[in-house]
Amino acid sequence: MVNVVKGVLVECDQAMKQFLLHLDETMALGCRFIIQNLDETHLFISADILTTLQSRIDDLMDQVSFPLVEKDS
Amino acid sequence: MGGLHGVSTRRAAVTLAAGSGGRAFGIKCKCIVMADAGKASKQNQSKTFQCKNLHDYLKTLPASTLDRLYNHPTTCLAVYRELPEIGRHYVIRILFVEQPVPQAVVASWLSQENSKEHNEVTKVLKELQVWQEAPIPGGLPGWILNPIFKKNCRMALLGGGRANCIQSQLDADSKPRDIPFLDQYATERWECVLHYMVGSQQQEGISADAVRLLLHARLMKRDEEDGSPVITREGFQFLLMDTAQQVWHFILQYLDTVQEHNLDLVECLTFLFQLSFSTLGKDYSTQGMSEAMLKFLQHLREFGLVYQRKRKGGRFYPTRLALNIAAGQTSAPGDIERVGYIVVETNYRVYAYTDSNLQVALVALFCEMMYRFPNLAVGILTRDSVRQALRSGITAEQMINFLRLHAHPRMVANGPPVLPPTVVDQIKLWENERDRFNFSEGVLYSQFLSQQDFQVLRDHAQDQGVLIWQNERQRTMVVTKGGHDDVKRFWKRYNRGND
Repeated sequence: MVNVVKGVLVECDQAMKQFLLHLDETMALGCRFIIQNLDETHLFISADILTTLQSRIDDLMDQVSFPLVEKDS
Repeated sequence: MGGLHGVSTRRAAVTLAAGSGGRAFGIKCKCIVMADAGKASKQNQSKTFQCKNLHDYLKTLPASTLDRLYNHPTTCLAVYRELPEIGRHYVIRILFVEQPVPQAVVASWLSQENSKEHNEVTKVLKELQVWQEAPIPGGLPGWILNPIFKKNCRMALLGGGRANCIQSQLDADSKPRDIPFLDQYATERWECVLHYMVGSQQQEGISADAVRLLLHARLMKRDEEDGSPVITREGFQFLLMDTAQQVWHFILQYLDTVQEHNLDLVECLTFLFQLSFSTLGKDYSTQGMSEAMLKFLQHLREFGLVYQRKRKGGRFYPTRLALNIAAGQTSAPGDIERVGYIVVETNYRVYAYTDSNLQVALVALFCEMMYRFPNLAVGILTRDSVRQALRSGITAEQMINFLRLHAHPRMVANGPPVLPPTVVDQIKLWENERDRFNFSEGVLYSQFLSQQDFQVLRDHAQDQGVLIWQNERQRTMVVTKGGHDDVKRFWKRYNRGND
Protein backbone atom coordinates (compact mmCIF):
# COMPACT_ATOMS: atom_id res chain seq x y z
CA MET A 1 0.00 0.00 0.00
CA VAL A 2 1.33 3.38 -0.96
CA ASN A 3 0.01 6.70 0.24
CA VAL A 4 -0.30 9.34 -2.48
CA VAL A 5 -0.91 13.03 -1.71
CA LYS A 6 -0.93 15.99 -4.03
CA GLY A 7 0.60 19.23 -2.88
CA VAL A 8 3.55 21.54 -3.23
CA LEU A 9 7.17 20.75 -2.50
CA VAL A 10 8.90 23.68 -0.81
CA GLU A 11 12.62 24.06 -0.92
CA CYS A 12 14.11 26.75 1.28
CA ASP A 13 16.83 27.48 3.79
CA GLN A 14 16.54 26.28 7.37
CA ALA A 15 15.53 29.58 8.87
CA MET A 16 12.64 29.95 6.47
CA LYS A 17 11.60 26.37 7.16
CA GLN A 18 11.39 27.11 10.88
CA PHE A 19 9.22 30.08 10.06
CA LEU A 20 6.87 27.87 8.08
CA LEU A 21 6.76 25.34 10.95
CA HIS A 22 5.92 28.20 13.29
CA LEU A 23 3.10 29.42 11.03
CA ASP A 24 1.79 25.88 10.93
CA GLU A 25 1.89 25.28 14.68
CA THR A 26 0.28 28.56 15.63
CA MET A 27 -2.30 28.13 12.86
CA ALA A 28 -1.53 31.67 11.81
CA LEU A 29 -3.16 31.08 8.45
CA GLY A 30 -6.31 29.64 9.96
CA CYS A 31 -5.42 26.00 9.50
CA ARG A 32 -2.49 23.65 9.42
CA PHE A 33 -0.97 23.32 6.03
CA ILE A 34 2.17 21.21 6.29
CA ILE A 35 1.50 17.74 5.03
CA GLN A 36 4.88 16.30 5.75
CA ASN A 37 8.16 17.53 7.11
CA LEU A 38 10.66 16.01 4.72
CA ASP A 39 14.12 17.15 5.76
CA GLU A 40 16.02 20.22 6.86
CA THR A 41 15.36 22.17 3.73
CA HIS A 42 12.23 20.54 2.30
CA LEU A 43 8.60 20.58 3.27
CA PHE A 44 5.51 19.24 1.59
CA ILE A 45 2.52 21.56 1.97
CA SER A 46 -1.01 21.75 0.69
CA ALA A 47 -1.45 23.62 -2.54
CA ASP A 48 -4.49 25.79 -1.63
CA ILE A 49 -2.59 27.74 0.97
CA LEU A 50 0.16 28.86 -1.37
CA THR A 51 -1.01 32.38 -2.20
CA THR A 52 -1.86 33.26 1.40
CA LEU A 53 1.45 31.88 2.49
CA GLN A 54 3.39 33.93 0.01
CA SER A 55 1.85 37.18 1.09
CA ARG A 56 2.60 36.25 4.71
CA ILE A 57 6.23 35.65 3.80
CA ASP A 58 6.36 38.98 2.04
CA ASP A 59 5.02 40.68 5.16
CA LEU A 60 7.63 38.95 7.25
CA MET A 61 10.44 39.99 4.95
CA ASP A 62 9.21 43.55 5.13
CA GLN A 63 9.20 43.39 8.92
CA VAL A 64 12.63 41.91 9.30
CA SER A 65 14.32 44.36 6.96
CA PHE A 66 15.04 47.72 8.44
CA PRO A 67 15.91 50.83 6.48
CA LEU A 68 19.64 51.19 6.06
CA VAL A 69 19.47 54.93 6.28
CA GLU A 70 17.47 57.34 8.28
CA LYS A 71 15.35 59.31 5.95
CA ASP A 72 15.01 62.90 6.89
CA SER A 73 11.51 63.93 6.21
CA MET B 1 11.06 71.24 -8.65
CA GLY B 2 9.68 70.49 -12.06
CA GLY B 3 12.08 67.58 -12.26
CA LEU B 4 10.71 65.86 -9.22
CA HIS B 5 7.29 66.17 -10.68
CA GLY B 6 8.55 64.14 -13.61
CA VAL B 7 9.89 61.55 -11.27
CA SER B 8 6.61 61.10 -9.52
CA THR B 9 4.74 60.63 -12.78
CA ARG B 10 7.19 57.94 -13.66
CA ARG B 11 6.52 56.24 -10.36
CA ALA B 12 2.89 56.18 -11.28
CA ALA B 13 3.79 54.60 -14.58
CA VAL B 14 5.78 51.91 -12.81
CA THR B 15 2.93 51.10 -10.50
CA LEU B 16 0.63 50.81 -13.47
CA ALA B 17 3.06 48.53 -15.20
CA ALA B 18 3.26 46.30 -12.20
CA GLY B 19 -0.50 46.42 -11.91
CA SER B 20 -2.51 46.79 -8.75
CA GLY B 21 -1.08 45.19 -5.65
CA GLY B 22 -2.89 41.96 -6.33
CA ARG B 23 -1.77 41.70 -9.91
CA ALA B 24 1.83 42.48 -9.05
CA PHE B 25 1.64 39.75 -6.52
CA GLY B 26 0.29 37.31 -9.06
CA ILE B 27 3.28 37.96 -11.26
CA LYS B 28 5.60 37.31 -8.39
CA CYS B 29 4.02 33.99 -7.44
CA LYS B 30 4.63 32.80 -10.91
CA CYS B 31 8.24 33.82 -10.65
CA ILE B 32 8.68 31.81 -7.52
CA VAL B 33 6.82 28.72 -8.66
CA MET B 34 8.85 28.70 -11.81
CA ALA B 35 12.06 29.57 -10.02
CA ASP B 36 13.54 26.30 -11.11
CA ALA B 37 12.97 26.96 -14.75
CA GLY B 38 13.68 30.61 -14.08
CA LYS B 39 17.23 29.94 -13.02
CA ALA B 40 18.03 28.42 -16.35
CA SER B 41 16.13 31.01 -18.31
CA LYS B 42 17.48 33.98 -16.41
CA GLN B 43 20.52 34.10 -18.60
CA ASN B 44 18.44 33.45 -21.67
CA GLN B 45 16.10 36.24 -20.77
CA SER B 46 18.77 38.84 -21.11
CA LYS B 47 20.02 37.07 -24.19
CA THR B 48 16.70 37.05 -25.98
CA PHE B 49 16.55 40.76 -25.60
CA GLN B 50 19.97 41.43 -26.99
CA CYS B 51 19.54 43.03 -30.35
CA LYS B 52 20.79 41.34 -33.44
CA ASN B 53 23.75 42.64 -35.34
CA LEU B 54 23.61 43.43 -39.04
CA HIS B 55 24.57 39.93 -40.06
CA ASP B 56 21.88 38.30 -37.91
CA TYR B 57 19.31 40.66 -39.29
CA LEU B 58 20.20 40.19 -42.96
CA LYS B 59 20.14 36.42 -42.46
CA THR B 60 16.45 36.62 -41.69
CA LEU B 61 15.66 38.25 -45.03
CA PRO B 62 14.66 36.12 -48.01
CA ALA B 63 17.24 35.57 -50.76
CA SER B 64 15.34 37.70 -53.26
CA THR B 65 15.33 40.67 -50.91
CA LEU B 66 19.06 40.26 -50.38
CA ASP B 67 19.65 40.24 -54.11
CA ARG B 68 17.69 43.44 -54.48
CA LEU B 69 19.70 44.97 -51.65
CA TYR B 70 22.95 44.03 -53.32
CA ASN B 71 21.89 46.08 -56.31
CA HIS B 72 23.30 49.08 -54.50
CA PRO B 73 27.04 49.52 -54.07
CA THR B 74 26.67 51.11 -50.63
CA THR B 75 24.86 48.08 -49.27
CA CYS B 76 27.55 45.79 -50.62
CA LEU B 77 30.19 47.91 -48.97
CA ALA B 78 28.33 47.90 -45.65
CA VAL B 79 27.95 44.13 -45.77
CA TYR B 80 31.55 43.68 -46.85
CA ARG B 81 32.73 45.88 -44.00
CA GLU B 82 30.88 43.80 -41.44
CA LEU B 83 32.21 40.46 -42.68
CA PRO B 84 34.71 38.62 -40.50
CA GLU B 85 38.27 39.46 -41.51
CA ILE B 86 38.91 36.14 -43.21
CA GLY B 87 35.68 36.56 -45.12
CA ARG B 88 36.86 39.91 -46.44
CA HIS B 89 40.07 38.29 -47.66
CA TYR B 90 38.15 35.58 -49.47
CA VAL B 91 35.87 38.06 -51.16
CA ILE B 92 38.74 40.26 -52.31
CA ARG B 93 40.69 37.29 -53.64
CA ILE B 94 37.92 36.07 -55.88
CA LEU B 95 36.30 39.41 -56.66
CA PHE B 96 37.83 39.52 -60.11
CA VAL B 97 37.71 35.82 -60.86
CA GLU B 98 35.02 35.21 -63.43
CA GLN B 99 34.64 31.47 -62.91
CA PRO B 100 33.92 29.26 -59.87
CA VAL B 101 36.90 28.62 -57.61
CA PRO B 102 37.26 25.03 -56.28
CA GLN B 103 36.26 24.78 -52.64
CA ALA B 104 39.45 22.86 -51.90
CA VAL B 105 41.50 25.79 -53.17
CA VAL B 106 39.64 28.24 -50.96
CA ALA B 107 40.14 25.92 -47.99
CA SER B 108 43.87 25.76 -48.68
CA TRP B 109 44.19 29.50 -48.11
CA LEU B 110 43.94 28.82 -44.40
CA SER B 111 46.13 26.36 -42.53
CA GLN B 112 44.64 23.15 -41.17
CA GLU B 113 44.51 24.34 -37.54
CA ASN B 114 42.15 27.12 -38.56
CA SER B 115 39.62 24.93 -40.32
CA LYS B 116 37.04 25.91 -37.71
CA GLU B 117 37.29 29.57 -38.66
CA HIS B 118 37.21 28.59 -42.31
CA ASN B 119 33.96 26.67 -41.87
CA GLU B 120 32.41 29.53 -39.98
CA VAL B 121 33.31 32.03 -42.64
CA THR B 122 32.04 29.89 -45.51
CA LYS B 123 28.78 29.53 -43.63
CA VAL B 124 28.47 33.28 -43.10
CA LEU B 125 29.21 34.05 -46.75
CA LYS B 126 26.65 31.51 -47.84
CA GLU B 127 23.98 32.74 -45.44
CA LEU B 128 24.42 36.27 -46.66
CA GLN B 129 24.22 35.09 -50.27
CA VAL B 130 27.59 36.65 -50.91
CA TRP B 131 28.72 33.50 -52.66
CA GLN B 132 27.00 30.42 -53.95
CA GLU B 133 28.00 26.86 -54.56
CA ALA B 134 28.72 26.11 -58.19
CA PRO B 135 30.33 23.07 -59.78
CA ILE B 136 33.48 23.69 -61.77
CA PRO B 137 34.07 21.82 -65.04
CA GLY B 138 35.19 18.38 -63.93
CA GLY B 139 32.53 18.09 -61.24
CA LEU B 140 34.40 19.44 -58.21
CA PRO B 141 32.37 21.72 -55.94
CA GLY B 142 33.35 25.35 -56.19
CA TRP B 143 32.35 28.78 -54.93
CA ILE B 144 31.32 31.68 -57.09
CA LEU B 145 30.45 35.16 -55.89
CA ASN B 146 26.85 36.22 -56.21
CA PRO B 147 26.98 38.08 -59.57
CA ILE B 148 24.94 41.01 -58.31
CA PHE B 149 27.08 41.33 -55.22
CA LYS B 150 30.24 41.02 -57.28
CA LYS B 151 29.26 43.74 -59.70
CA ASN B 152 28.22 46.23 -57.06
CA CYS B 153 31.01 45.46 -54.65
CA ARG B 154 33.48 46.21 -57.44
CA MET B 155 31.65 49.41 -58.11
CA ALA B 156 31.79 50.37 -54.44
CA LEU B 157 35.52 49.77 -54.30
CA LEU B 158 36.48 51.15 -57.69
CA GLY B 159 33.88 53.79 -58.26
CA GLY B 160 31.83 54.27 -61.38
CA GLY B 161 28.22 53.44 -62.02
CA ARG B 162 25.43 55.83 -61.38
CA ALA B 163 25.76 58.37 -58.64
CA ASN B 164 24.66 57.89 -55.09
CA CYS B 165 21.01 58.65 -54.65
CA ILE B 166 21.91 60.91 -51.76
CA GLN B 167 23.31 63.97 -53.45
CA SER B 168 25.32 66.53 -51.71
CA GLN B 169 23.86 70.00 -51.77
CA LEU B 170 25.40 72.17 -54.43
CA ASP B 171 24.83 75.64 -53.02
CA ALA B 172 26.06 76.28 -49.51
CA ASP B 173 23.57 76.37 -46.66
CA SER B 174 22.91 79.94 -45.58
CA LYS B 175 22.89 78.80 -41.94
CA PRO B 176 25.25 75.85 -41.84
CA ARG B 177 25.09 73.57 -38.81
CA ASP B 178 28.23 72.34 -37.14
CA ILE B 179 28.92 68.97 -35.55
CA PRO B 180 28.35 69.95 -31.89
CA PHE B 181 24.96 71.32 -32.89
CA LEU B 182 24.03 68.11 -34.70
CA ASP B 183 25.19 66.01 -31.75
CA GLN B 184 23.11 68.04 -29.41
CA TYR B 185 20.13 67.88 -31.68
CA ALA B 186 20.41 64.09 -32.09
CA THR B 187 20.71 63.56 -28.35
CA GLU B 188 17.72 65.77 -27.73
CA ARG B 189 15.50 64.03 -30.24
CA TRP B 190 16.49 60.57 -29.11
CA GLU B 191 16.00 61.44 -25.48
CA CYS B 192 12.54 62.65 -26.36
CA VAL B 193 11.61 59.07 -27.22
CA LEU B 194 13.22 57.77 -24.04
CA HIS B 195 11.47 60.50 -22.06
CA TYR B 196 8.18 59.40 -23.41
CA MET B 197 8.93 55.87 -22.31
CA VAL B 198 9.75 56.82 -18.74
CA GLY B 199 6.64 58.96 -18.69
CA SER B 200 8.14 62.27 -17.76
CA GLN B 201 5.91 64.89 -19.25
CA GLN B 202 7.84 68.10 -19.45
CA GLN B 203 9.04 67.34 -22.95
CA GLU B 204 7.01 67.60 -26.08
CA GLY B 205 5.27 64.38 -26.97
CA ILE B 206 6.15 62.01 -29.78
CA SER B 207 4.08 61.25 -32.85
CA ALA B 208 1.44 58.58 -33.04
CA ASP B 209 3.66 56.61 -35.40
CA ALA B 210 6.44 56.52 -32.85
CA VAL B 211 4.05 55.39 -30.14
CA ARG B 212 2.78 52.64 -32.40
CA LEU B 213 6.34 51.60 -33.00
CA LEU B 214 7.10 51.42 -29.29
CA LEU B 215 4.02 49.27 -28.86
CA HIS B 216 5.02 47.08 -31.78
CA ALA B 217 8.50 46.63 -30.37
CA ARG B 218 6.86 45.56 -27.11
CA LEU B 219 8.84 48.23 -25.32
CA MET B 220 5.52 49.62 -24.22
CA LYS B 221 2.07 48.15 -23.98
CA ARG B 222 -1.43 49.44 -23.66
CA ASP B 223 -2.61 49.62 -20.11
CA GLU B 224 -5.54 47.30 -19.53
CA GLU B 225 -7.64 49.94 -17.86
CA ASP B 226 -7.28 53.20 -19.73
CA GLY B 227 -5.41 52.10 -22.86
CA SER B 228 -2.56 54.52 -22.38
CA PRO B 229 0.85 53.10 -23.23
CA VAL B 230 2.91 51.92 -20.27
CA ILE B 231 6.45 50.68 -20.28
CA THR B 232 7.11 46.94 -20.27
CA ARG B 233 9.78 44.69 -18.85
CA GLU B 234 11.66 44.84 -22.15
CA GLY B 235 11.26 48.59 -22.13
CA PHE B 236 13.08 48.90 -18.83
CA GLN B 237 15.93 46.80 -20.15
CA PHE B 238 15.95 48.90 -23.31
CA LEU B 239 16.37 52.09 -21.29
CA LEU B 240 19.51 50.82 -19.64
CA MET B 241 21.27 49.94 -22.94
CA ASP B 242 23.69 52.35 -24.55
CA THR B 243 22.48 54.71 -27.27
CA ALA B 244 23.94 52.94 -30.31
CA GLN B 245 22.31 49.69 -29.30
CA GLN B 246 19.04 51.42 -28.61
CA VAL B 247 18.98 53.08 -32.01
CA TRP B 248 19.80 49.88 -33.83
CA HIS B 249 17.21 47.87 -31.95
CA PHE B 250 14.65 50.55 -32.58
CA ILE B 251 15.44 50.74 -36.29
CA LEU B 252 15.14 46.96 -36.63
CA GLN B 253 11.69 47.17 -35.13
CA TYR B 254 10.88 50.05 -37.43
CA LEU B 255 11.95 48.08 -40.50
CA ASP B 256 9.49 45.38 -39.43
CA THR B 257 6.68 47.85 -39.84
CA VAL B 258 7.73 49.72 -42.99
CA GLN B 259 5.25 47.84 -45.14
CA GLU B 260 2.41 49.33 -43.11
CA HIS B 261 3.60 52.77 -44.15
CA ASN B 262 3.70 51.69 -47.78
CA LEU B 263 7.45 51.92 -47.78
CA ASP B 264 9.73 49.44 -49.44
CA LEU B 265 12.05 47.57 -47.10
CA VAL B 266 14.87 47.43 -49.63
CA GLU B 267 14.62 51.13 -50.38
CA CYS B 268 14.68 52.00 -46.69
CA LEU B 269 17.62 49.75 -45.93
CA THR B 270 19.56 51.09 -48.86
CA PHE B 271 18.91 54.62 -47.74
CA LEU B 272 20.06 53.77 -44.21
CA PHE B 273 23.26 52.27 -45.56
CA GLN B 274 23.88 55.32 -47.68
CA LEU B 275 23.31 57.49 -44.65
CA SER B 276 25.80 55.45 -42.69
CA PHE B 277 28.46 56.31 -45.27
CA SER B 278 27.70 60.01 -45.33
CA THR B 279 29.82 62.65 -43.68
CA LEU B 280 28.95 64.20 -40.37
CA GLY B 281 28.45 67.93 -40.53
CA LYS B 282 27.78 67.98 -44.27
CA ASP B 283 24.40 68.75 -45.77
CA TYR B 284 22.76 66.62 -48.42
CA SER B 285 20.03 67.37 -50.87
CA THR B 286 16.63 65.76 -50.89
CA GLN B 287 16.44 66.32 -54.62
CA GLY B 288 15.61 63.21 -56.59
CA MET B 289 14.30 61.36 -53.59
CA SER B 290 10.99 59.59 -54.06
CA GLU B 291 7.86 60.51 -52.15
CA ALA B 292 8.24 57.36 -50.02
CA MET B 293 11.82 58.16 -49.11
CA LEU B 294 10.87 61.68 -48.12
CA LYS B 295 8.35 60.16 -45.74
CA PHE B 296 11.01 57.83 -44.40
CA LEU B 297 13.27 60.83 -43.94
CA GLN B 298 10.62 62.51 -41.81
CA HIS B 299 10.50 59.46 -39.56
CA LEU B 300 14.27 59.46 -39.22
CA ARG B 301 14.10 63.14 -38.48
CA GLU B 302 11.72 62.53 -35.62
CA PHE B 303 14.14 60.16 -33.93
CA GLY B 304 17.09 62.47 -34.49
CA LEU B 305 18.89 60.41 -37.12
CA VAL B 306 18.82 63.32 -39.53
CA TYR B 307 18.44 67.02 -39.00
CA GLN B 308 16.30 69.27 -41.16
CA ARG B 309 15.70 72.88 -40.42
CA LYS B 310 12.61 73.01 -42.55
CA ARG B 311 10.58 70.09 -43.75
CA LYS B 312 10.55 71.41 -47.29
CA GLY B 313 14.01 72.94 -47.09
CA GLY B 314 15.43 70.51 -49.58
CA ARG B 315 18.45 69.69 -47.49
CA PHE B 316 19.26 67.51 -44.50
CA TYR B 317 22.20 66.69 -42.26
CA PRO B 318 22.79 63.16 -41.06
CA THR B 319 23.65 62.94 -37.35
CA ARG B 320 25.95 60.64 -35.47
CA LEU B 321 23.07 58.32 -34.64
CA ALA B 322 22.66 57.53 -38.32
CA LEU B 323 26.32 57.15 -39.08
CA ASN B 324 26.86 54.09 -36.97
CA ILE B 325 23.64 52.39 -37.70
CA ALA B 326 24.98 49.53 -39.76
CA ALA B 327 27.64 48.73 -37.24
CA GLY B 328 24.95 47.82 -34.71
CA GLN B 329 26.35 46.57 -31.46
CA THR B 330 29.94 46.52 -32.58
CA SER B 331 30.22 50.28 -32.78
CA ALA B 332 32.09 51.54 -29.79
CA PRO B 333 33.86 54.53 -31.29
CA GLY B 334 31.83 57.32 -32.78
CA ASP B 335 29.07 56.93 -30.28
CA ILE B 336 28.13 60.24 -28.80
CA GLU B 337 30.62 60.50 -25.98
CA ARG B 338 29.01 60.93 -22.64
CA VAL B 339 30.89 61.56 -19.50
CA GLY B 340 29.76 59.46 -16.56
CA TYR B 341 27.71 61.35 -14.04
CA ILE B 342 26.90 58.97 -11.23
CA VAL B 343 28.63 58.73 -7.90
CA VAL B 344 27.66 55.90 -5.59
CA GLU B 345 28.72 56.02 -1.97
CA THR B 346 29.01 53.16 0.49
CA ASN B 347 26.06 54.60 2.39
CA TYR B 348 23.85 53.76 -0.60
CA ARG B 349 23.52 57.34 -1.66
CA VAL B 350 23.55 57.95 -5.36
CA TYR B 351 24.53 61.35 -6.69
CA ALA B 352 23.70 62.09 -10.30
CA TYR B 353 25.54 65.14 -11.58
CA THR B 354 23.20 65.97 -14.39
CA ASP B 355 20.57 68.44 -15.45
CA SER B 356 18.87 65.99 -17.79
CA ASN B 357 15.44 64.92 -16.65
CA LEU B 358 15.88 61.68 -18.52
CA GLN B 359 19.04 60.72 -16.69
CA VAL B 360 17.40 61.53 -13.41
CA ALA B 361 14.38 59.46 -14.41
CA LEU B 362 16.66 56.53 -15.28
CA VAL B 363 18.33 56.65 -11.91
CA ALA B 364 14.91 56.93 -10.34
CA LEU B 365 14.01 53.57 -11.88
CA PHE B 366 15.74 51.92 -8.97
CA CYS B 367 16.60 54.70 -6.52
CA GLU B 368 14.44 56.72 -4.24
CA MET B 369 15.06 60.32 -5.23
CA MET B 370 15.57 62.74 -2.36
CA TYR B 371 16.76 66.09 -3.64
CA ARG B 372 17.00 67.79 -6.98
CA PHE B 373 19.32 70.67 -7.61
CA PRO B 374 19.99 72.43 -10.91
CA ASN B 375 22.96 70.23 -11.74
CA LEU B 376 22.66 67.44 -9.21
CA ALA B 377 20.08 64.92 -8.10
CA VAL B 378 20.49 62.87 -4.96
CA GLY B 379 18.84 59.54 -4.46
CA ILE B 380 19.23 56.58 -2.25
CA LEU B 381 19.21 52.88 -2.97
CA THR B 382 16.73 51.25 -0.65
CA ARG B 383 15.35 47.78 -0.40
CA ASP B 384 11.96 49.08 -1.49
CA SER B 385 13.23 50.97 -4.50
CA VAL B 386 15.35 48.07 -5.70
CA ARG B 387 12.54 45.59 -5.15
CA GLN B 388 10.21 47.77 -7.14
CA ALA B 389 12.71 47.75 -9.99
CA LEU B 390 13.10 43.99 -9.71
CA ARG B 391 9.35 43.61 -9.85
CA SER B 392 9.18 45.62 -13.06
CA GLY B 393 11.66 43.26 -14.65
CA ILE B 394 15.02 44.95 -14.26
CA THR B 395 17.64 42.53 -13.00
CA ALA B 396 20.22 43.32 -10.34
CA GLU B 397 22.91 42.82 -12.95
CA GLN B 398 21.35 45.49 -15.18
CA MET B 399 21.19 48.02 -12.37
CA ILE B 400 24.81 47.40 -11.44
CA ASN B 401 25.90 47.59 -15.07
CA PHE B 402 24.05 50.84 -15.52
CA LEU B 403 25.71 52.38 -12.48
CA ARG B 404 29.09 51.13 -13.63
CA LEU B 405 28.61 52.33 -17.22
CA HIS B 406 27.71 55.83 -16.13
CA ALA B 407 30.08 56.09 -13.19
CA HIS B 408 31.58 59.52 -12.68
CA PRO B 409 35.23 59.84 -13.83
CA ARG B 410 36.21 60.34 -10.18
CA MET B 411 34.74 56.94 -9.33
CA VAL B 412 36.59 55.35 -12.22
CA ALA B 413 39.83 57.01 -11.15
CA ASN B 414 39.48 55.67 -7.62
CA GLY B 415 38.66 52.16 -8.85
CA PRO B 416 38.77 49.34 -9.45
CA PRO B 417 36.31 48.39 -8.20
CA VAL B 418 34.37 51.29 -9.60
CA LEU B 419 31.34 50.75 -7.40
CA PRO B 420 31.50 50.11 -3.67
CA PRO B 421 31.39 46.32 -3.28
CA THR B 422 28.96 46.54 -0.38
CA VAL B 423 26.39 48.23 -2.55
CA VAL B 424 26.87 45.79 -5.42
CA ASP B 425 26.53 42.83 -3.07
CA GLN B 426 23.50 44.27 -1.37
CA ILE B 427 21.67 44.79 -4.65
CA LYS B 428 22.36 41.17 -5.52
CA LEU B 429 21.22 40.04 -2.08
CA TRP B 430 17.99 41.94 -2.50
CA GLU B 431 17.46 40.09 -5.72
CA ASN B 432 18.22 36.72 -4.16
CA GLU B 433 15.90 37.44 -1.29
CA ARG B 434 13.02 37.35 -3.71
CA ASP B 435 13.57 33.69 -4.40
CA ARG B 436 14.40 32.23 -1.05
CA PHE B 437 11.65 29.76 -1.64
CA ASN B 438 11.38 27.30 -4.38
CA PHE B 439 7.86 26.02 -4.81
CA SER B 440 7.13 23.16 -7.16
CA GLU B 441 3.85 21.41 -7.44
CA GLY B 442 4.18 17.71 -6.98
CA VAL B 443 2.80 14.47 -5.61
CA LEU B 444 4.09 12.83 -2.45
CA TYR B 445 4.47 9.05 -2.30
CA SER B 446 4.98 7.58 1.15
CA GLN B 447 4.39 4.53 3.32
CA PHE B 448 5.82 1.98 0.96
CA LEU B 449 5.53 -1.54 2.34
CA SER B 450 8.99 -2.66 1.36
CA GLN B 451 12.29 -1.08 0.59
CA GLN B 452 12.33 -2.85 -2.75
CA ASP B 453 9.00 -1.36 -3.84
CA PHE B 454 10.30 2.05 -3.01
CA GLN B 455 13.53 1.59 -4.91
CA VAL B 456 11.81 0.29 -8.03
CA LEU B 457 9.40 3.20 -8.16
CA ARG B 458 12.06 5.74 -7.32
CA ASP B 459 14.41 4.46 -9.99
CA HIS B 460 11.63 4.54 -12.54
CA ALA B 461 10.75 8.14 -11.64
CA GLN B 462 14.39 9.10 -11.79
CA ASP B 463 14.78 7.56 -15.23
CA GLN B 464 11.78 9.53 -16.42
CA GLY B 465 13.31 12.69 -14.99
CA VAL B 466 10.24 13.47 -12.87
CA LEU B 467 11.70 12.80 -9.41
CA ILE B 468 12.17 16.00 -7.42
CA TRP B 469 12.87 14.71 -3.93
CA GLN B 470 13.44 11.36 -2.27
CA ASN B 471 14.61 9.88 0.99
CA GLU B 472 15.42 6.21 1.16
CA ARG B 473 15.22 5.88 4.93
CA GLN B 474 11.79 7.44 5.15
CA ARG B 475 10.73 5.64 1.97
CA THR B 476 9.26 8.88 0.73
CA MET B 477 9.51 10.52 -2.64
CA VAL B 478 8.02 13.46 -4.53
CA VAL B 479 7.44 13.44 -8.27
CA THR B 480 6.37 16.37 -10.42
CA LYS B 481 2.72 16.92 -11.11
CA GLY B 482 3.22 16.12 -14.79
CA GLY B 483 5.04 12.89 -14.03
CA HIS B 484 2.42 11.57 -11.65
CA ASP B 485 0.22 9.83 -14.21
CA ASP B 486 3.12 7.95 -15.69
CA VAL B 487 4.47 6.85 -12.31
CA LYS B 488 1.00 5.78 -11.22
CA ARG B 489 0.56 3.63 -14.32
CA PHE B 490 3.97 2.12 -13.81
CA TRP B 491 3.12 1.32 -10.21
CA LYS B 492 -0.10 -0.44 -11.18
CA ARG B 493 1.68 -2.51 -13.80
CA TYR B 494 4.44 -3.33 -11.36
CA ASN B 495 1.95 -4.47 -8.71
CA ARG B 496 0.06 -6.64 -11.17
CA GLY B 497 3.32 -8.28 -12.18
CA ASN B 498 4.09 -9.04 -8.56
CA ASP B 499 0.71 -10.53 -7.70
